[in-house]
Amino acid sequence: MFSRIELKRVYGLAVCLLLIAVVSYAAFGVTPPKPPARIVFQSVAGKALFDHARHAADTGYSLTCGECHHTLSKDEYDQASSCTECHDAEKGDADVPKRSDALHQQCIGCHTEYGAGPVECTRCHVMF
Amino acid sequence: MPEHQKLIVSHAPFWHNCNRVTDRSRDIFLAALPAALFGVYQYGVSALGVLALSVSSAVLWELAFTRVAGRPVSVGDGTAAVIGLLLGMMLPASMPWWGILTGTFLAVVVARQIYGGIGANPFNPVAVALAILMLAWKGRMDFDAALVNYPFDFPAVYHLTAVKAFGTAAIGDVSLGDLLLGRQIGGIGCTFGLGLILGGVYLLVRGVIRWEITLSMLAGVALTAFIFNQVDPAKFASPAFHLLTGYTLIGAFFLAPEDPSSPVNFLPMLIYGAVIGSVVVFIRDIGVFAEGLPYAVLVGNLIQPLVDKIRPKALGKVV
Repeated sequence: MFSRIELKRVYGLAVCLLLIAVVSYAAFGVTPPKPPARIVFQSVAGKALFDHARHAADTGYSLTCGECHHTLSKDEYDQASSCTECHDAEKGDADVPKRSDALHQQCIGCHTEYGAGPVECTRCHVMF
Repeated sequence: MPEHQKLIVSHAPFWHNCNRVTDRSRDIFLAALPAALFGVYQYGVSALGVLALSVSSAVLWELAFTRVAGRPVSVGDGTAAVIGLLLGMMLPASMPWWGILTGTFLAVVVARQIYGGIGANPFNPVAVALAILMLAWKGRMDFDAALVNYPFDFPAVYHLTAVKAFGTAAIGDVSLGDLLLGRQIGGIGCTFGLGLILGGVYLLVRGVIRWEITLSMLAGVALTAFIFNQVDPAKFASPAFHLLTGYTLIGAFFLAPEDPSSPVNFLPMLIYGAVIGSVVVFIRDIGVFAEGLPYAVLVGNLIQPLVDKIRPKALGKVV
C-alpha cells in the first residue's frame, strides 16, 4: 500500500533517471583509450588478457612502443596501430605470420628473453 | 489506495507494526546507495547511465505490465525500483542499453509479475535476470573483457577468474584492504566491500533483512572456502577473499534475504543461507563458472519451500 505522493515520487524518479540514462548513453559512451589500457585476445583456446598499460608504464615494465610494435621507428611511436592491422587471423607467411603465431612469438619470446612472465598456455589462456 | 487487497484475514484485533513495503524499499535503496555511488565514482558517467536505465526501465516495465494485465498500479511501493537498482549494481559499467532493458524485463516481468507480483515470486528476480544474462551474453558479463577500456591505478583483473585459472599466486598482491575499499573490478555496486557492509548492517539494524540468512550465508561461504583452502592452498582462495570479492556481499545482504523467496522460520533460514553460501564456493572452486552467486541463490530459492517445512512454528499463541 502506498500513497499517491509516493506513487508520484516513483514516477518522477523513473522519468528523471530515464533522461539521465539517455544522456549518458548518447553523450558519454566509453571510447577505447589510446594507447589501450588492456586488451583481451579471444581465441578457441580461451581468452588472454594483456595489460597494455602495465607493459608500457614507467612504473610497470617500461617497454618502449618499438619493442612490440616492431615496424615503428622512434619518431613513429605515436602512430602505433593494433597488431591485427597487419596480422590476419587466418592467413600468414614467414614474413607476416598469422595473428596467433605473431602474438605467441611476441609474448613468449619476450617473456623467455627477460625470464619473466608466463610462457605456458594455461598461464595466459582462460576458458571461462 | 492504488494497491488492491490480496489477502482477507479474519479475527480481530490486529496491530499494525507500522512496517510498510514502501518504507522497506526506501531502506534498501538507501542501504545500496553507498556502494552504487562508489561505482559511479570508480567507473564514471557510463556507470551512472547503467544504474539510471536499470532503475527507470524496471519501473516502466512493471507499469507497462500492470497496465496490459489490467492490474492495479504497483510501482508506488518502490520494489521495482529496488530490483532495478540491485540489478544495475551487479552489471558491468559497459553494459549496453539493450542488455539492461532485457535484464529488467526478465527480473520484473518474467521473474515476478507473471507469478502475481510482489510477494508471489518463488525466485529472486535479480538472481533470475542475472543468471540468464550471464548465460546469454557471457562476453558482456565477463568483467575482464567488459571493463577493458577503463583505466585503473590498480591491477585490473577480475579476481575470481584469475584465481580460478591461475591459482592463489595470481592474487598474491591483493590485500583485504583493497577489497574493502573497492580497489578491484567487478559489478558497478559490488566492488566497494565497506559500503556494502555498512548498507547491510543498516538493513539488519532496521529489521529489513533477517540476520539468520545473512550470517549463515556468510558462514557458509567462509566455512566451505576454508575447507577448500586447507585442502589445496595453492589452488583455492582463502575465506576472506571469497567473502569480499564478486557478488558475495551484495548477495548476502540484498539478494538472499529477499522476503518472498526466503524461508520464514529460524532453522530453515540458517539452512537456506548456509546452502547458498556453500554452493557459491562450490561453483567458484570446482564449477565451470568463476562466479556462482546468482545460481546459488536460485538453488536456495528452489529448496526454500522444502526447508521451511522443517520444524514449522505455529503462528499465534493459545493462552
